[in-house]
Amino acid sequence: MRQKGIFFPDLHLGLLLSGAAALAALLVRNEFLTNLVIWIFFYASLGLSWNLIGGFAGQLSLGHAAFYGLGAYTSTLLFQNLGLSPWIGLIAGGVVAVLFALAIGLPCFRLRGPFFTLSTIAAAEVLRILAIYFQDFTGGSVGIQINVAPSFSHFVFGDRSSYLLVAWILMLVSFLVSLGIERSRLGYCLIALREDPDAAEALGIDTAGAKMRALMVSAFLSAVAGVFYAQMVHFIEPYSEFSLENSIQFAMIPMVGGMGTSIGPVIGSFVLTPLQELVRAWLGGRYLGLHWVVYGLALILVVIFMPRGIVGLLRRGRPARAGATWSQPSCSPLAGQAEKEDGAGRPVPPGLASPPGEVLLVCRGLTMDFGGLVALSGVDLEVRRGEIVGLIGPNGAGKTTLFNLISGFLSPTAGTIRFRGEEIAGLSPPHLVCRRGVGRTFQLVKPFGNMTVLDNVMVGAFCREKDPARARREASRILSFTGLEEKSSLPARSLTVADRKRLEMARALATGPDLLLLDEVIAGLNPVEAEEIEGMVRSLREQGITVLFIEHVMQSVMRLSDRLVILHHGEKIMEGTPAEVARDPRVIQAYLGEEYVLASS
Amino acid sequence: MSSLLPQLIINGILLGGIYSLISIGLTLIFGVVRIVNFAHGEFLMLSLYAAFWLKSLAGLDPYPSLLLVVPLLFLAGLIAHRLVIQPILEAPSYMQIFATVGLSVAMQNLALFFWKADFRTVESFCSHSALQIGTLVAAAPKLIAFGASALATIFLHFFLQRTYLGRAIRAVVQDREASQLMGIDIYRIYLFTFGLGTACVGLAGGLMAPIYAIFPTVGVYFVLTAFVVVVLGGLGSLPGAFLGGLIIGVVESLAGFFISPQLKEAVYFVIFLAVLIARPSGLLGQMGAEEL
Repeated sequence: MRQKGIFFPDLHLGLLLSGAAALAALLVRNEFLTNLVIWIFFYASLGLSWNLIGGFAGQLSLGHAAFYGLGAYTSTLLFQNLGLSPWIGLIAGGVVAVLFALAIGLPCFRLRGPFFTLSTIAAAEVLRILAIYFQDFTGGSVGIQINVAPSFSHFVFGDRSSYLLVAWILMLVSFLVSLGIERSRLGYCLIALREDPDAAEALGIDTAGAKMRALMVSAFLSAVAGVFYAQMVHFIEPYSEFSLENSIQFAMIPMVGGMGTSIGPVIGSFVLTPLQELVRAWLGGRYLGLHWVVYGLALILVVIFMPRGIVGLLRRGRPARAGATWSQPSCSPLAGQAEKEDGAGRPVPPGLASPPGEVLLVCRGLTMDFGGLVALSGVDLEVRRGEIVGLIGPNGAGKTTLFNLISGFLSPTAGTIRFRGEEIAGLSPPHLVCRRGVGRTFQLVKPFGNMTVLDNVMVGAFCREKDPARARREASRILSFTGLEEKSSLPARSLTVADRKRLEMARALATGPDLLLLDEVIAGLNPVEAEEIEGMVRSLREQGITVLFIEHVMQSVMRLSDRLVILHHGEKIMEGTPAEVARDPRVIQAYLGEEYVLASS
Repeated sequence: MSSLLPQLIINGILLGGIYSLISIGLTLIFGVVRIVNFAHGEFLMLSLYAAFWLKSLAGLDPYPSLLLVVPLLFLAGLIAHRLVIQPILEAPSYMQIFATVGLSVAMQNLALFFWKADFRTVESFCSHSALQIGTLVAAAPKLIAFGASALATIFLHFFLQRTYLGRAIRAVVQDREASQLMGIDIYRIYLFTFGLGTACVGLAGGLMAPIYAIFPTVGVYFVLTAFVVVVLGGLGSLPGAFLGGLIIGVVESLAGFFISPQLKEAVYFVIFLAVLIARPSGLLGQMGAEEL
């Protein structure tokens, strides 16, 4: 296996670029250049902090000016009224921003897409209006001027070079935080939930919690940048702090540079900020507003022609994660062993402590009424440890609904679901069910297209592992088990249907489930592929995993199942061994058809 | 004092009629094209300026000039859709937002560049007339605006229910794929609906010209209000947009008086956030419509 060692291209590039710029400004001693570099670092840091929630998590906020402004106002007001040094005010501003993030994030993260964006705009606007209204406190539209002698404790400097150094540190901190998150479990979870939130939940990711953590860090960093701005410009007022235009600017930087990577916002700022100054110098003076026209058009063009930003253009065809192109995992010596006792540090799952044959899942009287359409009616189901149970029935029988109920995506209208003795009916969000040991795949496969195959499975492994290195080892072990080892570094979207189904299974397996719900993993495959998957499913039993699977491919169903449960119009019409089921007249009438009976007898 | 509350409510309803008309365009576009058009307010601004220039260059009163303004805005919508929206139909929703935000910013600043930031006004023959019943007063331009909005809403409703094109539009809202299978060219429908939406906003602008000041960023205020109305009424629901508009108009009028004129925007933003949190599908929208 190749070992790329400790070469981190993104980190080195960021350090190099910013170091060169800072050095140039300090040596050349030209005021315009120094200012330019300060703004480059400033916007890079804002872009990086926005990117945490906008790029990694895919939650487009156009209200980040709220955090930025809260930082500026908090520290300035503390300084003005209490004489508190802005260095401490910086922390205070960050905390205030984080609290605000908690307040709006908790309710608003339930919203998807444009609704979330609209709510962020509304939040920032409310702050702007309040800042104007409470003018006795905030100085209102007139704003606050910072008139104080330069000194370190005042966070006011006489020469630009000091501001340059502070800006550089600010940018580096944001950059390192972003890189740290990108490579950590949180980073994988954020990207996964951006790609497919349902799949992420089914893999045990607390999507709401992950988004909240990212937003809090983002809010803190944006607030700190806001404080820096106040201390450099010496003047704050509601419009320049909380305006929508600010929020748009913060978002444009990573958008042009490349959302979802740490180096993207840095490059974005290095490209956009000088452009901005140039355009403003050229047009802004005489032709008021024209530079904004250029921005607006640039936004449109970027969306149409380079949606992945500059970094996306440069990395065309390669997977989006830096983590996949370095430090390939070494072959796991543990593949093929009794997996539950591997030396990678995984604790022995609690399931094996129970005796085999023990009842794992019990559904009683399960009913799902969609306000008119009764998808399931009084279904009883039992699955014992070590079984492979097939769930079959005509289309519309309620099979996937049953899976959705068990895995926590739906809450039953009536009935109970007990898993390992614990009541899980209505347990929501779904990641809670996954964490208790229920894994599932989806009928329409949901790969995280922009992540590599390995990273996809790692996301599943993160359900049990916190450490990325161990998660990676676990993921490669599972990949060799499912025969996808050679495709580890390919982007998931380039896989064939058969491989996608394998990936879906691998991902669910990585969460270490006791019960695995497989939804039509064989449908659509050719007979050779089908046999391979059948073999895999059979060997799951040896690993201590119980399987409940939905399938339409009758040969596979008959060969794999210990027991079959047949649903029809939401009711269980029969249960038994494959042989019993094949002979039962009710089943034949509803589902199998006369020809099957004739052929098998 | 006894006539104050009814007067406030009347003001609110009249205001609401205009909000409704602006929002109906937005909700139509969203329901069909499934794009949140952040540039919606700029089309309003465009129609206001159109009314202004027609008056100042050709002496046309804003109401007759509607015959020119509405088709003009329909055309502008077609162009914008073809150039900006159509290329990004397949892009993820967060990218689409960026594109319409870009369009919005570009349009605002083009207006700023060409027509400067000065506030303009348009006078109509009835600018100074008012209808008085007892102690209640309603300014004529506002009454006309409300009446025309209500008529336009009714007309649109019948258009969507009774004509083939209207049914095609509703079909696309329900299910794109099935519509295509039924022989509907969904791209033509998107194009037409976008134009229709901007035409509605054009009508609203023409009616508003005698009432409001005209300046390049006038659209920003109204578009945020329109979003609140649309979310309140339910995305894609025409009756919802109308109802929502009236409610927001009344809320704004009452809040402006009882709380503070400066805070009235904050009040309906808070309502907006509350609706998004408690019932994102709005009053009359389909449940789950907010899951894009």
